[in-house]
Amino acid sequence: MDILVFATVVLPFLAAIALLLLRDKGSRGLIVVGTAVVLAAASLALVGQGAFEYGPKSILGISLDGLITLLDFALLFVILVIAMTKLKNPLVAALTAIQIVGLIYLEFFMMDHGAAKAAPAMFADSLSMIMVLVISIVGSLICVYALGYMPAHEDHLHLARSKQPRFFFYLVAFLGAMNGLVLANSLLWLYFFWEVTTFCSFMLISHDGDETSVKNATRALWMNMTGGVAFVFALIFLQKTGTGLYLSELLKPGFSAAGAAALIPLFMLCYAGITKSAQVPFQSWLTGAMVAPTPVSALLHSSTMVKAGVYLVLRLAPAYAGTMLSGTLAMFGAFTFLTTSALAVGQSNAKKVLAYSTIANLGLIIACAGINTPAAITAAIVIIIFHAVSKALMFLCVGTIEQKIHSRDLEDMRGLYMVMPKTTIVALVGVVTMLLPPFGVLMGKWMAIESAAAMKYMPVTVMLALGSGLTVMFWARWAGILLSTPYPKGVPAEPQAGTVRGPLVLLAAGAVLLSLFVPFIYGGLIEPAVRSSHKAAGFVLDGFNFVNQQGVFYVYPLFLVLGVGFYFAWKQARKVEAADCVGPYLCGAQSPGDDKAFLSTAGAPVGYQASNFYLTWLFGEERLTGPINMVSGVLLAVMLGLLLGGVI
Amino acid sequence: MGKLLLATLAVFLAPIVGGLIAGIDRKITARLQSRFGPPILQPFYDVFKLLGKAPMIMNPWQVLTVWVYLLSSMLTVFLFFMGSDLLLIFFVMTIGAVFFVMGALSTQSPYAQVGAQRELITMLTYEPLIILVFVSIAMVTGSFKVSEVFAYGKPLLYQLPLMFIVLGYALTIKLRKSPFDISACHHAHQELVRGVLTEYSGPQLAIIEIAHWYDVVFVLGLCALFWATSAPGMIILLVVTYFAELVIDNVTARMTWKWMLQSVWCWGLALSVLNLLWLYAG
Amino acid sequence: MSMLKDWINKGRLKSPWVVHFDCGSCNGCDIEVLACLTPVYDVERFGILNIGDPKHADVLLVTGTVNHRNKHVLKNIYDQMPEPKAVIAMGACGLTGGVFREAYNVVGGVDKVIPVDVYVRGCPPKPEAIIDGVVLALEKVKAKLEAAG
Ligand code: SF4
Repeated sequence: MDILVFATVVLPFLAAIALLLLRDKGSRGLIVVGTAVVLAAASLALVGQGAFEYGPKSILGISLDGLITLLDFALLFVILVIAMTKLKNPLVAALTAIQIVGLIYLEFFMMDHGAAKAAPAMFADSLSMIMVLVISIVGSLICVYALGYMPAHEDHLHLARSKQPRFFFYLVAFLGAMNGLVLANSLLWLYFFWEVTTFCSFMLISHDGDETSVKNATRALWMNMTGGVAFVFALIFLQKTGTGLYLSELLKPGFSAAGAAALIPLFMLCYAGITKSAQVPFQSWLTGAMVAPTPVSALLHSSTMVKAGVYLVLRLAPAYAGTMLSGTLAMFGAFTFLTTSALAVGQSNAKKVLAYSTIANLGLIIACAGINTPAAITAAIVIIIFHAVSKALMFLCVGTIEQKIHSRDLEDMRGLYMVMPKTTIVALVGVVTMLLPPFGVLMGKWMAIESAAAMKYMPVTVMLALGSGLTVMFWARWAGILLSTPYPKGVPAEPQAGTVRGPLVLLAAGAVLLSLFVPFIYGGLIEPAVRSSHKAAGFVLDGFNFVNQQGVFYVYPLFLVLGVGFYFAWKQARKVEAADCVGPYLCGAQSPGDDKAFLSTAGAPVGYQASNFYLTWLFGEERLTGPINMVSGVLLAVMLGLLLGGVI
Repeated sequence: MGKLLLATLAVFLAPIVGGLIAGIDRKITARLQSRFGPPILQPFYDVFKLLGKAPMIMNPWQVLTVWVYLLSSMLTVFLFFMGSDLLLIFFVMTIGAVFFVMGALSTQSPYAQVGAQRELITMLTYEPLIILVFVSIAMVTGSFKVSEVFAYGKPLLYQLPLMFIVLGYALTIKLRKSPFDISACHHAHQELVRGVLTEYSGPQLAIIEIAHWYDVVFVLGLCALFWATSAPGMIILLVVTYFAELVIDNVTARMTWKWMLQSVWCWGLALSVLNLLWLYAG
Repeated sequence: MSMLKDWINKGRLKSPWVVHFDCGSCNGCDIEVLACLTPVYDVERFGILNIGDPKHADVLLVTGTVNHRNKHVLKNIYDQMPEPKAVIAMGACGLTGGVFREAYNVVGGVDKVIPVDVYVRGCPPKPEAIIDGVVLALEKVKAKLEAAG
């Protein structure tokens, strides 16, 4: 046990320090790949162990609780110094200062450090295991990818001195912090890891050091800091009401019976989760974070760190089940899903499309947590897993594409198949696994809509239905234009570094194969997680098909029929000969030898251009952001108001 | 086993029924315009002719995508007649719709591109409505399964009259009827040529037509669910609905996609919400 | 298999989709073409459809003279029609250049650029003659297919 927890949580920190010290390329590759392998193996071994509780007291004679507290203060102090000197941002400084003061009050004036511990500091059930797996495997793959990505990225910037050691320091340390976060039972530990991820995120967004990235990083920092402040308040509140500062204490049955006294800290924690997951009205920090190098976007801002927010909300779901907080969270999540999907339709910047779609999926997860039935929780976990894989894949694809075509605009990706055939196919796999059955993300969406309907949450279902339509729109057109090719005469070979292609291919294969094994994943990990929190399963497996009272999802029949059918279609497509292919219909006035131009009356070629409908008059950022922020702000205020109303 | 047989039979019969419906459609449309109209079997002649034409395409993706479209439409009908989960069936249908658009987008042709974008807008317009129809059915019967609708015992139309109108919107769009025939209109030569279908030809076009027949059978099947208690009731409901579609098609002009998106979402949502509220109250 | 072939051949004769190209007509012929679509003549009776896309068409119906400006357009449209296909030249202009024959910019009849199967006379021809022309074109297609086996 010791060794596994050590490998997943502490080892990445040690590796990070080593990366900072050993600056040469060879040892960096060795350390990153080594850490990746060890992490992946350790996470699998941890799952093999099953659920556990673990209360390490001290390391080398130092009390761990004391150490964490010390590091907490150190971290907050570092942020305070950065805020005052480098950023000169009074808001960040103030938010940090509030946390420091709150923490001092909590640690030195309220808590009795001598008392016996009410619960172990760490615990893991299936939900934590799933998170550890996602972090350690998907995260590690992204770190390996970064090895191939960063040199090209730095070439582009013409740096005098490589900043890669620093970059990998934060990237790898982040993995440890994330694992710590999902394994923590003590809220104080959780808080510490929470702040570490915020800090890593800040450092990585501002990595390139130009004005925009520093500005966007600062925004990410202050928004997340408000979550941190809420977290500290929740801790103080809990301490005041005499609840132990442990997740397991909050999850004890009957906790929410205390009424507002229980719901206010729960709301505060959920609020922290909402900021971390960049839900509206905090979506702007995540879209701003897209200035960071792509591995950062893939690792922190889609597959793992932002999942910490929904993890916390989901973790607390049993605690607020049946309360009004649950219903309003469902509304809030569905609202985020709808609005950010709409924003994604209005975007032509590929990374922003991905960012908005990430926020939308996180919103869907929060909506599921709010619906709070076993089926909905199953949906949430399914989406967490499959979204992480497919979205990481999409981000890495966009990064790879951007390094080749020097643009991240969708319109510039027309006919990408003729430039980067292999990456295009991988990206198509990403889109299809995000969007269509029989793959996991769609399955999660199916579960979500059905469970919302089962609970008769009308506004939630309406928003999910609308959002679902919007999702189809932006994914389908992306997939289509990638293919926009004349008859592939001589598709070019596409050389690529192994550290880039490896993760791409592995993630693409993973996205497909994981969906193929979903009944087993469900039986082995997801169902136990739902059972442990909600005492019942959302679905039964009947011949590997997901069945409950609401409906049925066929897994293998669909895979079989669609797989065979797709193979047949593929074969038919392979039969096409160049002789059967002509240019597009251009009213007969096409320019000879050029498919992409009309012939003018003067005999000169006149190009034409077709572009996507972005519907900016309806879904543009300028148009929607203001109203969205207002409505979501009001929603949050109403939630808080109702809760406070309960106290008074 | 019986269910599987029925579903298999449906997969074989659906194109025949769909083709006949298309034939009758053209005949009645002609009569409404005081013309004589083509033979009822005309759609079959068209499709067989297209199957016999030499292939002329722009790239292999088009072949791949039309086959996937056909496959998904067949699977949709199969699952529907198996009495399976409505939402799942709908998502399976989405596969075909997405691939169909991908194929058109893969062609670089300006007309196909515009048509494909419009097709996406039509999908965007009808998808939420159909999902809401399913949700309302599930709220009445307690399940998304088609078989449960038959087990329910009362016609859904009594409780979901407004949802039937919402489904009517989706039906009009899916049948490519005016005022919503914006993506592949037969008559918009100057504007679109043939929109999303412009670059598909010969056998590929035939496959698309057959897939479209499957879709029509599926959507009409959805309409039939609203009177699932008796076969004559179903048939009368379908005949009346389809005739209403034809009249609407003939008395309205083709509108713009902006108008479609706004008006259908507004009306569709308003009607859905009203009907759902009524369900709550009842 | 042979049943499928029979049906395909039947379909070929019963479903001629016509693409109409106005090469350089005075519009007289075009008005007659459109007249065929009206309830009085209703060509859809024979499965004839007026469509806008040569890639979907079986018959190319050309009105007007061919001139140096548009001869490559005519050729392109013809090339973008999948086999089997037929061409109808219509009106005095389509047949020979008609009254515009001597003009400096005129190439002449349609058959100067692409092979023509059926010539429909008149200035302009009557709708009945146009319908006859399409039927004749189908017979030519049939003969061609039979010759090819
Ligand atoms: S044949 Fe006569 S009617 Fe036809 S285009 Fe020539 S001049 Fe006009």
